[in-house]
Amino acid sequence: MKASTRWLITAAFAVCGALSARAAEVKIIANQSVTTDSISASELKSVFLLQRRALQDGSIVVPVVQKSGATQASFLREYMDRNPEEIRTYYYGLVFTGKGLMPKELHSDAEVVAYVARTKGAIGYVNIDFPTNGVKVLAISQAGASFARQLVTRVEPEYPETLQRLQIGGTVRLIVTISAKGSVEGVQLLGGNPILAEPAIKAVKQWVYSPGPSRSMLEVSIPFIPK
Amino acid sequence: MRRGIVRLALLCLWAGRLGQAQEFKICDRTVQVHGFASQGFVYTSGNNWLTMNSNAGSGAMTDMGLSLTSQLSDKLRVGGQVYDRNLGELGQWHPSLDWAVADYRFKNWLGVRGGKVKTTLGLYNDSQDLSFAHVFALLPQGTYPTDLRDATIAHTGGDLYGNIPLQHEAGEIAYTAYAGRRSDSIYSGYPYLLQDWQVFFRSFQGWQYGGDLRWTTPVNGLTIGASRMNQSITGKGTFVSLFDPGAGLVPFERTTKAYRTNMFYGEYMVRRLRIDAEYRRDFFDIPYVPGVELQTNIHAWYIAGSYRIGKRVQVGSYYSHYVTQNTSGGAALAPIIGSTDPSQPWNHVYDKVISGHVDLNRFCYVKVEGHFMNGYGWATYPNGFYLQQNPQGFQTNTNALVVKTGFHF
Repeated sequence: MKASTRWLITAAFAVCGALSARAAEVKIIANQSVTTDSISASELKSVFLLQRRALQDGSIVVPVVQKSGATQASFLREYMDRNPEEIRTYYYGLVFTGKGLMPKELHSDAEVVAYVARTKGAIGYVNIDFPTNGVKVLAISQAGASFARQLVTRVEPEYPETLQRLQIGGTVRLIVTISAKGSVEGVQLLGGNPILAEPAIKAVKQWVYSPGPSRSMLEVSIPFIPK
Repeated sequence: MRRGIVRLALLCLWAGRLGQAQEFKICDRTVQVHGFASQGFVYTSGNNWLTMNSNAGSGAMTDMGLSLTSQLSDKLRVGGQVYDRNLGELGQWHPSLDWAVADYRFKNWLGVRGGKVKTTLGLYNDSQDLSFAHVFALLPQGTYPTDLRDATIAHTGGDLYGNIPLQHEAGEIAYTAYAGRRSDSIYSGYPYLLQDWQVFFRSFQGWQYGGDLRWTTPVNGLTIGASRMNQSITGKGTFVSLFDPGAGLVPFERTTKAYRTNMFYGEYMVRRLRIDAEYRRDFFDIPYVPGVELQTNIHAWYIAGSYRIGKRVQVGSYYSHYVTQNTSGGAALAPIIGSTDPSQPWNHVYDKVISGHVDLNRFCYVKVEGHFMNGYGWATYPNGFYLQQNPQGFQTNTNALVVKTGFHF
């Protein structure tokens, strides 16, 4: 491959990366003791408002929050509809009325991953691109959905050979619409490299979930890690 | 006042040190330590307000709290808080146990709290002391009268509470049901008002029970709810009867025949805007002497809005409406002219407020607030205005400037 071609491809990915960075948000992580693989947005909000301690599958969870920064702001905007000052005031309100404890506050994604990995029941959030070794990533189902869908059949996406060779990777984020019977009805791209998105969407369309009471939506993240 | 400021300064210094480490361990259990304090300054034209000599400017507005809390197990949390305040002639630096609770959460939909518990009533009853949590230096006084905080702030007993998600994405219901005993400080507003009538309480306490139901609606940011409280309160002490003043101070014991509070409220938060409104109705029937009962009917409501201009600055405004009507045996109360006429200034307080709140950092804030009040709501039950500070009689209008600063950690 000519140097100019490689440069063009790299530049194109840099632009794509910048575009998807605008959508760069957070992923929800939990300690391995948490048995569920997904959580609804409304359930997540209740957990971080300290209104519930148990998830629908019975797992007791303990939220851990970030003290400040872009990840915290993204999480609060996306899932809590509050800004950092408001949520902090809210927590203090619970503390001083005897109705709650201040959640554990940490300073970075790395601290959150390390804490969640070693703390039974811990649930937190980190940047979508941050490595999450030792913890599980929870999928977010549609707000208000009250039934966790389990993935029954998973087809792995094909990694484009050119990108593999160029050591170009990334994470593709998708919203998956699942029928009541469990088949994937639709896939919508939320963010990530568009060239990686194509095989990701192709694979996810072949996935099968457990049946549910109604159609539901899940957010799915698919990492492409160069070998 | 000087003593209070010294205490506040010492607490600030202590808090600064604690700010580095707000928790410690006992028997391998983490104990969180948190505290707050505030200092206000009030200047009024017209009447003196909130038992302060505010016409000359008063800084007798200080409060503070210190809490310790620990999560003993997945479901059990324990904690307590000490609270102290000095507001004009109220509180007088007598610290009290604000709350002390053991809280066991069986399920999301069922928890139990026991001990001395902050009472859930309306949007802000339990958090009314937490000035840092509100845009306003003073919450709407018709609905949350700070001079009468003891009447509703906590009960010694228990709560059942929980959160129930509704099907079909209809939001969530949070409920609280409670029962317990209220015990007022003799340094609170009602005993202070009655001193002027030659009624001196040794104790003022009794049963409270009620509940709160609030619905987090599917409309993002909208919560609506209702609260109810029933009480049976007994006051014991001595008094000089208006019907037999020659007998001097004689012992008395009176128990309310009826005492109930209803509240309805709504709150809407969208991005930087918050709007809330509440309606409160109190009714109580108190025997004065055999054959003579006083019935007091209070209707209060407010609508408030606030907007966050930036990370540290919020502005807000509210209108608070308070009307009291007094009867005896269903008829107008003879000693009070027009006792059922809301238009009389002694039967109402209409308060228009503008406010600015600046967070200096994560821990400290300053607020500046203007109140423009019509009426003084002084009849058989107080609402901020007392004859002891206004011996020459009341004026119809009062304007107030309130500056408040504080911190929490």
